[in-house]
Amino acid sequence: MPRYPEVIAEKGRRVLMLGNVAVARGFLEAGVQFVAAYPGTPSTEIVEALAYASKHLGGRPYVEWSVNEKVAVEAALGAAITGAKAVAVMKHVGLNVAADPFFSSAYIGVKGALVIVSADDPWMWSSQNEQDNRWYGLHAYVPVIEPLGAQSAKDAARLALEYSAKYRRPFIYRSTTRIAHTRVPVETGPLPSPDELIPIGEFERNPAKWTLVPQYARQHRLELLEFWDKVRNELDTFPLNRVEGSGSIAVIGVGIGYRYAREAAKILGLEDDITLYAVSTSVPLPSRIIDKVLSHEKILVVEEGDPVVEYQLKIAQAEIGARIEVYGKNGRQLLPRYGELGLEKVVNALAKVAGTKTPEWASGNLPKQDNSRTLELPPRPPVLCPGCPYRSLFYALKRAVNKLRLKPVYSGDIGCYSLGILPPFEVQDTIIDMGASIGAGNGIARSLSQSQDKVVIAVIGDSTFFHSGLSGLANIVYNQTPMLVLVLDNHTTAMTGHQPHPGVGLSASGEEVAMLTVEDTARGLGVEKVLVADSFDISDSQEKLVEALRYVVEKRKPAVVVAKGACMLVALQNARRARVKPPVYYVDESKCTACGICYTAFNCPAILRQENGKARIDPALCTGCGECVQVCPFNAFKPSKEPSPEWLKIMRTARPIP
Amino acid sequence: METLNIVVVGVGGQGLISLASIIASAALRKGYNAIVAETHGLSQRGGTVIVHVRLGDAEAPLIPPKTANVLLAMELIEANRYLYYLSPNGVIVVNDYIVPPPLPKIKIPARDELLENLKETSKKLILVQATEEALKLGDARVANMVLLGAALQNGLLRPFVDFESIKEAIIETWPKAADINIKALEVGSNSYSVFK
Repeated sequence: MPRYPEVIAEKGRRVLMLGNVAVARGFLEAGVQFVAAYPGTPSTEIVEALAYASKHLGGRPYVEWSVNEKVAVEAALGAAITGAKAVAVMKHVGLNVAADPFFSSAYIGVKGALVIVSADDPWMWSSQNEQDNRWYGLHAYVPVIEPLGAQSAKDAARLALEYSAKYRRPFIYRSTTRIAHTRVPVETGPLPSPDELIPIGEFERNPAKWTLVPQYARQHRLELLEFWDKVRNELDTFPLNRVEGSGSIAVIGVGIGYRYAREAAKILGLEDDITLYAVSTSVPLPSRIIDKVLSHEKILVVEEGDPVVEYQLKIAQAEIGARIEVYGKNGRQLLPRYGELGLEKVVNALAKVAGTKTPEWASGNLPKQDNSRTLELPPRPPVLCPGCPYRSLFYALKRAVNKLRLKPVYSGDIGCYSLGILPPFEVQDTIIDMGASIGAGNGIARSLSQSQDKVVIAVIGDSTFFHSGLSGLANIVYNQTPMLVLVLDNHTTAMTGHQPHPGVGLSASGEEVAMLTVEDTARGLGVEKVLVADSFDISDSQEKLVEALRYVVEKRKPAVVVAKGACMLVALQNARRARVKPPVYYVDESKCTACGICYTAFNCPAILRQENGKARIDPALCTGCGECVQVCPFNAFKPSKEPSPEWLKIMRTARPIP
Repeated sequence: METLNIVVVGVGGQGLISLASIIASAALRKGYNAIVAETHGLSQRGGTVIVHVRLGDAEAPLIPPKTANVLLAMELIEANRYLYYLSPNGVIVVNDYIVPPPLPKIKIPARDELLENLKETSKKLILVQATEEALKLGDARVANMVLLGAALQNGLLRPFVDFESIKEAIIETWPKAADINIKALEVGSNSYSVFK
């Protein structure tokens, strides 16, 4: 478990904090009592930091990794119904999973407080889309608070929880990658006493309030609209909203857009020509801010994501029939409709609105990815780490498929194994959303022309399996879909930084809890053929995969293979802790025939090609997994020493260190 | 107050976020503002990584292309990839080290070509045997501090950070590994060559 001592630092200190840690600190300062989340970039460190705080404050506040975002929002809502100050944290697409309870929460409201953190990911650094979740605020009638950059991430989080408690309604806290993963100095405020972080909820029975049957839901709908009008008239006084300067051009700096706008004005020397509106409450855009902004004749809206504030302004403009120029991402599109904001983009847009000259560095079109004219640079996509159990498993999978002369469709999913999309493995033909490997795999399997060599193989990780693979699996059992579900079980949520999940047997703060195994779960859901393979043992994996694939093809029924092997990063941490030293492998050049299987078909990053075609191992990268020994037909790989039984066990069973 | 824009690049796992954080913590100790925009998540798995460090009078997290004063690069291919961030007056400090992307059958430019391109595009190029020196110290992970030592020795991060504030930041951040990191810093301060 990573350390975040700054989240519980004493008050009055100025500490360098990751935006996400600042968010966690803000919630703590506001007295958060209940936290539920599913990890997802760029949101994960918020809850890691809160779990760290909980561990060091005697289990206060309550922090859990939930199995998915829907469950997390339901849990937080349940806590908030009893009076707790609760937050649910997720990446932007997590709110799609949680949309159902989220919409209902707007209707029933809360007794304590409920903040839903949505960390959006413009330009998709680690995501499948760049949706702007402020739309959810407009859609569900839930106000949206955005910090003015990482610099105010802490205060915005504290205020969001306070405002939710004040109105007894859920609020969205919308962050983005450049807030979440930007480190800035943060002034620490006072923390409540740990006792105040314990929920002391009480459930007051009141069906008219807490049950959404039509007769009550209709009443809630009317009250929700009343709330919306009220909050629209009150949010202008939200403490982070402010107005700077008094120039004729209005620049609306929404959230992090404020930072770009402010620096852009300074760069262009336009501080006296603009009025800068810092807007933290983007949904609903407060009516008094709208009134003030529409008194200007030229307006530039700077916001990260979609033109959500711009649309609200333009609707208001149309309603009053004002003849005003509103610029942003819509209409003339002075700012691009995709990707992240950048200083050069905002400088360029502001210069155009103000009619001044753009500096040379900002005037170009979008920057090229590579401006070196003479050099062709190789791409460097993220790859499976050296020693990753998925590499040997994918290698075994390809061999099993070739042996049976199958032409599979690999229905992929979201996790480190998404990297299997790359050569040489190419075992991810579709990647859609969490759990879709099984869900969409069913549709693909049912719609493929029937021939003996076609088969669907769903490839899904253990954390994703518990997140949203269970219902898909129940569905293919129920409908008897012939397909193989391959669950890659590395005993952790690896891609987001090794959080535990229901299959690990550890809680968010590292206590031993119940462990649900993937194989028992699959059997419990009625899968008749469930095999467990050792990911690090290529022949064992190949054998199990062949057996399961034969079963699918011949019996026309679903089968599950659970391939087990620890994330190598976790295994190495465990080995260091246990003072177990893994061997380092080397190439016996007299045996190496330069066939290239190891560095092309197996493709371990620690195995390099020499000039003469022979293999070489970079000892700094070798993890000691020994997979190469199984791959080489000529026995050219040798260990520096025989791998110890302790190391072989750690590789297979290691769990994240609490 | 002025602003210093530093782009830190390399391959995921080379200690780039640590390098950026140490610089920012040191600046903070001297009373300066610092903003560090990092690459997390999927992109870290051996992929290309860029970290934006802005010291002094800066508010926005990202450094615009063509405006970086310093490019700190832990790897030669990545130094070239992000060269478009460097301002015409910018200085490059680069580790003399190539990590071939682990993709089958790709072509990698020769070291000389990579270096030549860096020389052509910068005001000054400082070449550091960072990985080599770190391995001599017994831990490849401190290569980032060797690189930083060379940058400090050339006064590239003035006035925001200096050896003293960096050492303090190291001691605070890695109390158990402070010695080897400070040693790496010192090694870096006298094992580099300057071009132009």
